[in-house]
This record gives sequence, C-alpha cells and structure tokens, in this order.
Amino acid sequence: MAGASLVLSDDSFVSRLDQSLLWLERKMALVSGLAVFSLMILAVISVGGRNFFSQPIPGYVDWIEQAMPLIAIMGIAYTQREGGHIRMDLLVGNLRGRPMWAAEFVTTLAILILMVLLVWGSWAHFQRSFDFNEPWWSRDSSMDIRLPLWPAKLVVPVAFFVICLRLALQVFVYGRALIRGEEQPVGVPLHADAATQAAMEAAQVSGRDD
Amino acid sequence: MEPIQIGLIVSGGMLVLVILGMRVAFAAGLSGLVGLIWIFWSRRGYDPEDFLWALTVAVKTAGQVPHSKISSQALSLIPTFILIGYLAYHAGLTKALFEAAKRWFAWVPGGLAVSTVFATAGFAAVSGASVATSAVFARIAIPEMLAVGYDKRFAAGVVAAAGTLASLIPPSAILVIYAIIVEQDVGRLLLAGFIPGVFSAVVYTLLIVGMAMTLKNFGPPVTGFTWKERFTSLPPALPIVAVVVIIIFFVYNPFGGDAWGTPTEGGAIGAFIVFLMALYRGMRWPQLKEALLETAKLSVMIFTIIWGVLIYVRFLGFADLPGAFADWLTTLEMSPMLILICILLAYAVLGMFMDAIGMLLLTLPVVFPAVMALNGGMNVTAEASTFGMSGTMCAVWFGILVVKMAEFCLITPPIGLNCFVVAGVRDDLSVQDVFKGVTPFFIADAITIALLVAFPWIVLWLPSQM
Amino acid sequence: TEWNVSVWGARRAFTEHVERLAELVAERSGGEFTMNISYGGLSGNRENLDGISIGAFEMAQFCAGYHADKNPSITVLELPFLGMSSLEQEAEVSMALYQHPAVVADLARWNATLLMPSPLPQYNFVGRGDAPSSVEDFAGMAVRATGGIGAAMSAIGAVPTSMTATEVRQALDSGVVQAVSFAPHAHMSFGTIESGEWWTTNLNPGTVNCPVVVNTDALDALSDAEREILMGAVDEAMQHYLDYYNDQTMAAWGPALDERGIEQITFGDAELAAFREAAAAPAAAAWIEENTARGLPAQELYDFVTGLIAEGN
Ligand code: NA
Ligand code: NA
Repeated sequence: MAGASLVLSDDSFVSRLDQSLLWLERKMALVSGLAVFSLMILAVISVGGRNFFSQPIPGYVDWIEQAMPLIAIMGIAYTQREGGHIRMDLLVGNLRGRPMWAAEFVTTLAILILMVLLVWGSWAHFQRSFDFNEPWWSRDSSMDIRLPLWPAKLVVPVAFFVICLRLALQVFVYGRALIRGEEQPVGVPLHADAATQAAMEAAQVSGRDD
Repeated sequence: MEPIQIGLIVSGGMLVLVILGMRVAFAAGLSGLVGLIWIFWSRRGYDPEDFLWALTVAVKTAGQVPHSKISSQALSLIPTFILIGYLAYHAGLTKALFEAAKRWFAWVPGGLAVSTVFATAGFAAVSGASVATSAVFARIAIPEMLAVGYDKRFAAGVVAAAGTLASLIPPSAILVIYAIIVEQDVGRLLLAGFIPGVFSAVVYTLLIVGMAMTLKNFGPPVTGFTWKERFTSLPPALPIVAVVVIIIFFVYNPFGGDAWGTPTEGGAIGAFIVFLMALYRGMRWPQLKEALLETAKLSVMIFTIIWGVLIYVRFLGFADLPGAFADWLTTLEMSPMLILICILLAYAVLGMFMDAIGMLLLTLPVVFPAVMALNGGMNVTAEASTFGMSGTMCAVWFGILVVKMAEFCLITPPIGLNCFVVAGVRDDLSVQDVFKGVTPFFIADAITIALLVAFPWIVLWLPSQM
Repeated sequence: TEWNVSVWGARRAFTEHVERLAELVAERSGGEFTMNISYGGLSGNRENLDGISIGAFEMAQFCAGYHADKNPSITVLELPFLGMSSLEQEAEVSMALYQHPAVVADLARWNATLLMPSPLPQYNFVGRGDAPSSVEDFAGMAVRATGGIGAAMSAIGAVPTSMTATEVRQALDSGVVQAVSFAPHAHMSFGTIESGEWWTTNLNPGTVNCPVVVNTDALDALSDAEREILMGAVDEAMQHYLDYYNDQTMAAWGPALDERGIEQITFGDAELAAFREAAAAPAAAAWIEENTARGLPAQELYDFVTGLIAEGN
C-alpha cells in the first residue's frame, strides 16, 4: 500500500550514488508526466481540428499508442526508489532489524532477477522491430499511418535497465544492513507504518487549498 | 505434469510471494515468467539440454507484454483521470463545491454529513480516484462538521466512505482497468457506473438522515442560510458543473447535430478545461510539475501492476487455467446465484488484505471467464442466460458489482486505504477512530450491493440505452 | 505431436478453417497429432508473428495490415481496387502469392511458413445521414477507414478519422463519423448496422489479407506422415471456410440489412471507374515505389497479382 516514503541520505558513496540515480529517475518520471500532459493537448488539437477545420490528426490512435510506453514505463525506477509500487505489508510491516532486511533483500533480489530477464526479453522485442537495412530502420509499424514501432519498443528495455541499477543498489544496501544489523540504512525507502505513510500521502495534497 | 497443475502450483506460489510482501506487480510478473519457463520446459520433457531453449522462449514471450499490452488508447484514460483530480484541486473546485452543498442541504437532519456526501459525489464527476477524493475532503469537510458538534469519528467515517463514490461515478480509473482486463467497451462501463454511484450516495444519505433522527447528540442541522447566500454560493461551484455538462454536451450534442467527439476525447477535453481553470487560479510551473510527477508516479504504479499481471495472465493462457476453473465452476451443484454471492463474499475477505487494483487484476483473469460461463457464455442472449441478461450486459453488471466490492474494501479494516488517508490528514484522529466511524457505512454498502444483485436493471438501464 | 495455435476474438466465420483443420488433422492421425486453439490466451493479435518467430506456439493467424512493415510483401493484396470478384478468387490468388519466392523469403524472417489465407469480402461503408448518390458526395465526409482504404477514401476528398474498433459504434451513433468501413461480419459484430441508414454495395475499396502461418522449425520437425496429413487437409479446411462464410455470414447479411430498412446504394460503372482512377493507380504506384526501396521485387509482385486476377475474371 506504500505511497509516499522516507529515504535517508548522507555524504557516503552509496548515498551519493542514490542521489545521482534519483536525478536521472526524476527526469525520466517528468517525461512520463509531460507525456500525459501532451495526450491532453493532442486530444484538444484533434477535436478542434476535426470540428473547425475538417482536418483531424492523421493516425490519432497510432500516436497515442506510441506515447503510452513513455507514460507507463519511463517512471518505473523513480516509483521503485520512492517505494511507490504497492505491496501487502502486513507481514513485512511487523518485522524489525535483521529479519526485515533479510525479507527485503530476498524480495528485492528476486525483482532484480526478474527485471534483468525482462531487459533481455524487451530488448529482443525491440530487436525484432528494428532493421538497419529497412527504410526508417523499421521492421514493424502501426496500423493506421504506419509509424515505425521501434522507438516506443526501445523505451522499455532502457527504462528497465535503469530500474535494474536502482534494484542493484537496493540489494547492496539491504544486504549490508543485514550483515551489519543497521537500523536506518541510507538510500532505501524505510518502512513507515501505514498511518505515517498515509500522513505523508495526505501531506502531498495539503496546503494548496488554504 | 499437466499444464493445469503447473498453473495451480505457480498461482499458489504467487500468493505466497504477495503475502511475504513482494511488490504485487513484480510478484505477478515473476510468477508468470517462472510458469512460462516451466510450461515450455515440460513440453520438451525437462531435458536439461532444452532448459536454455525454454528460458529463452519464456523470456521473449514475457518481454513482449509490457510494450504490447500498455500501448492501448483505452488505457490512456487512466493517467488522464488521475491528472484531472490533481488539476481540480489546484483549481479550487473542491472547496467551492462543499460550500454550495452546505448552504443548500445542511438544514436536513445530519445536514453537514449529507452535504459532504453530495459535494463528494459532485467532485467524483471529475475525479477518477477514491483515495485522492477522500484526502481532499478530509481537509475541507471534517473541520466544519466538528465545529457544529459532530462525533469526530463519524465525521471521518463519512469522508472515508463518500470518497469511494469517485470510483463508480465516471470518470473512474478502476472501471477502465476492469474494462481492459475483461476486454469490454470502456464507454459502456463508465456510463454504467453513474446510476449505481448516485444510488450509493442516496443510500448513504438515507443512512445519515436515519441516524440523525434516532441517535441522541448527533450533529445538528445547520440552518439559517438565506436564499441570497444560497444563490451566491453557486457561481464558484459552477465550473465543476460546467465541466461535467461540457463533457456530456461534447459526447451527446444536445443541439441535435453531430457529437463533437468520442468519450475518450471527452475525458481529455474535461482535463484541459480544468487545467485552464487551475491556470486562472494561479497554478504555475512548480505546482504543475509537482502534479505531473505525482500523476506519473501513480500511473506508473498502476501500469506496472497491469503488465506484471498480464505476464502472469499470458502464462495462465498457456496453462489454460481460466478455462479449467470456468469448467469446474459450471459443474458445481449449486445455484449460480449462490456461486455469484460466494464470489462476491470472497472478494470482501480478500479485499480486507489487499489493494483494490491489485485484487481485481490478480483475480479477474480467472474469475471473469467463470462468471461469464455461469451466465451461459459471452455470446448468450438474455432469454437463454442464467441471470437473465446477455453476455455483454452480464460483463457490465459483474464489473459494477466487483468495483463496488473493491470500493467497500477501501473502508474495511485492517487495510482500508481511504481510512488511512483520512487519519493521515487529521492529526487528532487515529486509524482506529476512522474505522469505528465508518462502520455504519458497511451496512449501507451491504444494502447497496444486495440491491444491485437483486435488481440488475439499476445497473443496466443506462448502458442499455446506448 | 501437440501444437498450440494462437488466434484471437471469439470463434467465428473468420476462424472456421483453423477449427476444421484441427479436426481433420486429429481425425486422420488417429488422435496422434492435435491442435490446441487458443483465442487470445497465447498472444495479442499484433504479436502473433513475434510468437511464431520466438517459437512460443506453432501456428497463428494475423492480418497483414496490422503491421505492414513486418510483412510488406503480402500487403500487395490489400491495395485498393484489385478487382477481386469472389472469396474463392481471393483464396486462390492469395495461395498463389504465398508460394512466390519473395513472399516466402519475407515471412522466413519470422521463421514462418504461410499455410492458407482467411479471405474476407471487400470492405464497404455503413453510414448515417444523407446517403451519397455519387462518389463525389464523399467529399468532406468524416469516415472511419484505416490504412490503404483510408488513403483511397482521401483520394476522393473524404476525411479518414482514426479510432479503435470498439469506439466505432459510438462514433457513428453520435455523428463523429458519418460512415464506417468494415467487412460485413464486422459490421454485424460491432453493431454499426443497428444505427446505420445506408450501405454501399459495390464501392469495394479493398480488404485485409489475413494468413494462417506455421512455425517453420515445427513444420520441419513433423514426421513425413504428419506433414502430409497437415498439408493434405488445407484444401478441405479452406473449402469449409468458404462454404461457411458464403452460406452463413453472407446469407445473413442481406436479410440483416432488409430487416433494419437499410438503404442499399449501388454506384454506376462510370462512377466507380472515376474513383478507381483517382485512387487505385496512385496507391499502386506508391506501394511499388516504397517496396522497391525495401529491396522487394515490388513491380513483379504487383504484376503477378493483377495478372492472376485478370486471368480469373
Ligand atoms: Na469519478
Ligand atoms: Na480493506
């Protein structure tokens, strides 16, 4: 159920790594957000063009489909960094210290393995749509106006590669915390109980309506 | 081993991962990938030399899913609906709405609570997410109710429960998700949510009025607003009405001519109008950037579960588990209605422990085909069906029931997200307080669900008009 | 041997040859060679060639127009105004083209061997409002038509509008578009005839080509006897498909139109010739130019197809 989260930082190497990765992740998430915004603008232009100028955007649906991977996937590492991917924390939430780091280490390592395999799988998906010898390097195209699909397909392995970096960092931090028995390691989202989390979530919409 | 056995084992494994606290999206994706490897390897008789082949085929099969399943126009509604909520907040629409509801409806018994329900229902017509709606109204409505002497726990309960209306009254992100998973028309489902949403609001209102008339020391009615005050409260609240009316006009041109666009375009146009209002109300790049980042984070969270679960669904397809479950369910010697009620009760239990979106995504691939089979199949006519409705209409009806169940889960302990959020906004309220205050609304929701099951036309009348 | 077959949607006229093929193969192999036909469980309809190429399943159906760049050679059959006169002819021409070395090589990039087509009748328009009495009346009309048919329609001044198939009904009802092009079975399943007022019987701007393919490695891995059974059953499965489409779908189409009082518009020969002139030649020229640039013998493929059609008519 995690929404907002708490990530500590200091001037250690790990923390600086976390911060530079965060810089990249925020940029990518902002691209996601801007893509949502552009969908809205695209609809306005499409409707306006059709109703006032008899000139709809050719391939409107194709363009939306191209934008979706940007919206849906670019921000995946940022969301992982902030602990924003939901989970059931009934069990983990009641753990403290080493047992908790052990659980986090195992599940995060499992995610890392999954994502490394999916970098491979999504790269293969991209590769099947890409050919240097074809016009526009395209071996797969959209239905209506035949846009090359490889740029949209390429978004996936790129974003997945970044979350692999993030996961590798988290696995390292959890592993070290497990060995050293740390209380509050830097660079990973710390577990706040559900109520604290909700308070942080609520704080995000606070102070705007006063 | 038979594919169906592999399907059952892997599904069990996924549940264990989820309970262990692995993030739902990845638990589903990993289970799906492992299942695919297992199925492909079993087809080659588990020959060690063929493991690499099985791994390659499974990874490449799973690797298609994120791009291909996400690239859909219907899914583009989800981020749009989320963005609308943030923009409406910046446009100051929420506060004006509550003020108007208060001046017009606070005179009835339990008046401020009733006003809260009405204002929230109005905001639900632009907001696509329950949790965000509760968070917004907790800040606006609770202080006013406390000021006239409402029990603070009850005040919090009203807001937590009313927030769930946002997922029935269109726009609704969760209805879009349902439509995508079961491959039904998004527009029809959104339309179908309207009357049950309003119906729920009415049941909440009746409950509040009933409590106010029977309980002692319930919050008093708030009277004394002049007609002038009432009418001056309307203009600031008008924009929200305007947005809704524009969207409706947009899709169903009232001047008799051609419509200006499709429902998906209507959603985007609504968002654009609210964006202009927010600009007018002083939103600038820093606030917009924050809203975009929050929209991105929430959208990515939802989309990651979607593709993670769809990898698992791809594996289920190879294992043919949904087909087997549907066959099993239809051979049960129980009345189909009883089976349906058992399914809904199972959702109530599951929803106590799980997030609504995760719950729907994980279960629908197996449950939906089974329910369709109970009714007589996707292409059944109303006359030949079990529940007296065509396959398409059954999909709509079940969708509204399931979404209402999922909303119910947002206010039930131990993991009722809306209650957490309300408690989070108010320092003086604990989560236990909110759960206590929201209890009467369980009864209201149980009544609503029972009525929707007993009288499907409440759900189906509007969509059958299109 | 057990094969997995990936198709999509519900079982319908469009998939009857696959169902029949599975029956015949199982029957003639004494149950030794079976096919699991999955409707959407194994892959999305635009990823079926990917799945074949990976080896995730052994047989699949797809439409060339879903992804022209994946299979440029067979999109020649989707050009407007080829002049096919029947489903039988379309089946025949498709089968012949599927044996052409350039086409075989094109699909070999996906490790796929073309098995049989799923011929569909020409697309035509169901529309609302003022019925067009001549081809010029399409000028300025918003129509739902994608790909090559969209291009042909814009040649006569119509405004092709892009939307997904599920939104089409609503868009037609509300007037976002005035006319929609589909094959008859799709007009029935997407409900456009429920609100449509007219139907163009012979505009025939083109259709889609949807082959059934098998994974080449899987085909090679079959025993000689199994391969013989499979290949030997294709003709019979195709015949079943054609009978089914003609006897069930097309037979239901005319009465369905009459029941709803839908006006049937038939254009004169001179009209159609003018339309053909405006749209057909430029589309063919553009297709040949583009695909020659890809390294395909595009002119040869085009001449091959039009030659076969001329011969048949
Ligand atoms: Na809503
Ligand atoms: Na709950």
